[in-house]
Amino acid sequence: MLEVIDLKKNYGEIAALRGVNLRVAKGQLLGFLGPNGAGKTTTMRSVFGLVAPDSGTVLWQGKPIAERTRLRFGYMPEERGLYPRMRNLEQVAYFGMLHGMTRHAAEAAAAMWLQQFGLGDRATDRLEQLSHGNQQRLQLATALVHSPDLLVLDEPFAGLDPLGVGAMGEILASQARAGTAVIFSSHQLDLVEDLCEDVVIINEGSVALAGAVRRLRSAAPHRHVRLEVRGAAPDWLDAFHGAEVLSTNGDRTRLDVSQGVELGALLAAAQDAGDVVEFSYEPPSLNEVFLAAVAR
Amino acid sequence: MTNWRTLLLIARRDFVERIKSRAFQISTALTVVLVLAAIILPQVFTPGQAGWRVGVVGTDAATIAASIVALQGDTDPIDTIGIPAATREAAIALLENGQVDAVVVAGEGVLTTGGTARALATLASGALTAVELTERAASLGLTPQLVSELLSLGSNNIASIDGAADNDTTGAETLALFTTILLFVSIVTYGQWILIGVIEEKSNRVVEVVVGTVPPRLLLSGKVLGIGVLGLIQLIAIGIVAFIALAATDVANLPDTTGAAVVATAFWFFLGFAFYATAYAAAGSLVSRQEEAQNAAFPLTLVLMSAYFLATFSISGDNPIIRAASLLPPFAPMTMPMRIALGRASASEIAISAVLMIVGVYVLMRVAARIYRGGILRAGGKIRINEAWRSSEG
Repeated sequence: MLEVIDLKKNYGEIAALRGVNLRVAKGQLLGFLGPNGAGKTTTMRSVFGLVAPDSGTVLWQGKPIAERTRLRFGYMPEERGLYPRMRNLEQVAYFGMLHGMTRHAAEAAAAMWLQQFGLGDRATDRLEQLSHGNQQRLQLATALVHSPDLLVLDEPFAGLDPLGVGAMGEILASQARAGTAVIFSSHQLDLVEDLCEDVVIINEGSVALAGAVRRLRSAAPHRHVRLEVRGAAPDWLDAFHGAEVLSTNGDRTRLDVSQGVELGALLAAAQDAGDVVEFSYEPPSLNEVFLAAVAR
Repeated sequence: MTNWRTLLLIARRDFVERIKSRAFQISTALTVVLVLAAIILPQVFTPGQAGWRVGVVGTDAATIAASIVALQGDTDPIDTIGIPAATREAAIALLENGQVDAVVVAGEGVLTTGGTARALATLASGALTAVELTERAASLGLTPQLVSELLSLGSNNIASIDGAADNDTTGAETLALFTTILLFVSIVTYGQWILIGVIEEKSNRVVEVVVGTVPPRLLLSGKVLGIGVLGLIQLIAIGIVAFIALAATDVANLPDTTGAAVVATAFWFFLGFAFYATAYAAAGSLVSRQEEAQNAAFPLTLVLMSAYFLATFSISGDNPIIRAASLLPPFAPMTMPMRIALGRASASEIAISAVLMIVGVYVLMRVAARIYRGGILRAGGKIRINEAWRSSEG
């Protein structure tokens, strides 16, 4: 398990991290969310010793991370970068060997991943000959080649087309199923909602919300109610406290209802006002949870 | 995985990627061609011993020419042509406009110009003496047989007791200068490779992945090792080509100190390269774009240049400043091999210099590794050394 405990980091006057905590267990797929500049990249880089935090610790299996431990990690940084003139198979195998694999094993694994990403016939091409999307795939291959115990991906979906996004999501999920601890950052919240059971949302250098997506959504202080009431007076809701109209379209209304409001009472009020054709409610989407969490 | 394995893996990548690159192959081939040209071309364009022409006044030209050939003995026969000239003035005119290389004036001696080979002058003067002796002996009534007996002395040979040729100071100086130029050029060249390599890794961000896996000091030392070995191989290859060409053309006699100079060059290249390459790597880590490379490296290049100039000045003579410089790490890689090649460095000076150099390389590696570590992960503009130093603890 990866544990980030009370991480703090200042860059001059600017506090980048003000005490970030998070955990990723083996087999867990954790979405790491936050607006730009919230501290996601700084947190991820500190796992790899690329940032020296002012205080706080990063533990793997309960112990501080040694140079040797890091060989079992895979990392895809936000700013992608590989050797432009190296041949693709050699490049992926090189990173496998840097992570301690034998040449033979590294080349076999590299060939397997190239095949997996549909780059099997590009093995002897150079990186610079690949399209942007394929370069991104190769970057992921270098993070995966040594079958890491922990996979840290900074914006893995950025710059991918919908097909690429789907394939990337599938790879992350299968890595987690295979027992790898996976943490990735993203701004595509619908994707995160589909993919992850758990998320951590940070804002301005500290954790704003953390936990299972389902629980976060249901624990939100508001929920959404969708109503269709025929023959109701337009102002029938004015008498009802605790519900805010988000949108109306003829007889249809979307409401934001605070947690304290009895939905039974709302339904009763609707039935008094007219014929209820539809009454459904749902917790807010992750997107809305996110926006509420990072609102100033 | 041991650190050694990682170090060799990184060194190997830098070595292989570069040796496979077209730019490296072209630059190596070009250097070899230039070295060969520098050795062979003067041979082609400077007239050698063959074809020496001697103007002769007052004596039989053919006799003088025959005498020169006779005096020359069994070494490469020179193609000497005697050109008879009516008067001394006519002969001088021929000499002045380059139609002859020397003029022999009976009863006076040999006239030469700055362009006359010393060997020709010596031979001509010897030949004149021999011819005059023969004539004078004949006029004293000695038979040609007696004359030849009189002149065939067997006891005027110069023999070296250690089998080596006479100590040719100009040869030693040429060798020392050649060594120093070679050291300077190769340290600058390979240092630039390091500099560019570091900035490349930084600007294309691959360093983030590499340093996320292996410690920066291993990346730094692997790069220095890989490029250093490549440089050494290139240097040796060029050295072998130069040696073969020199031996084949017989353009210069290699002095006694040649062996020592070659060993010293390799040794000081190794230490000097390790020292400057590490510093170049640290300088490279402070900037993000290739355009800034030369600015970043400027202070270093300045130190290297001053070491080089100190070394070249030292040809004219040893002095306390040069002796001190040859002991101190930033200057020693240029000045000490020069003093060794000139045969001026004592064994204890060489030992002190080598020890200080090794200590210097170690200390600089520690310092540079920390600056490198601090600088290499900071994108954006130029980073000051002290910032890089502070942002990287331990």
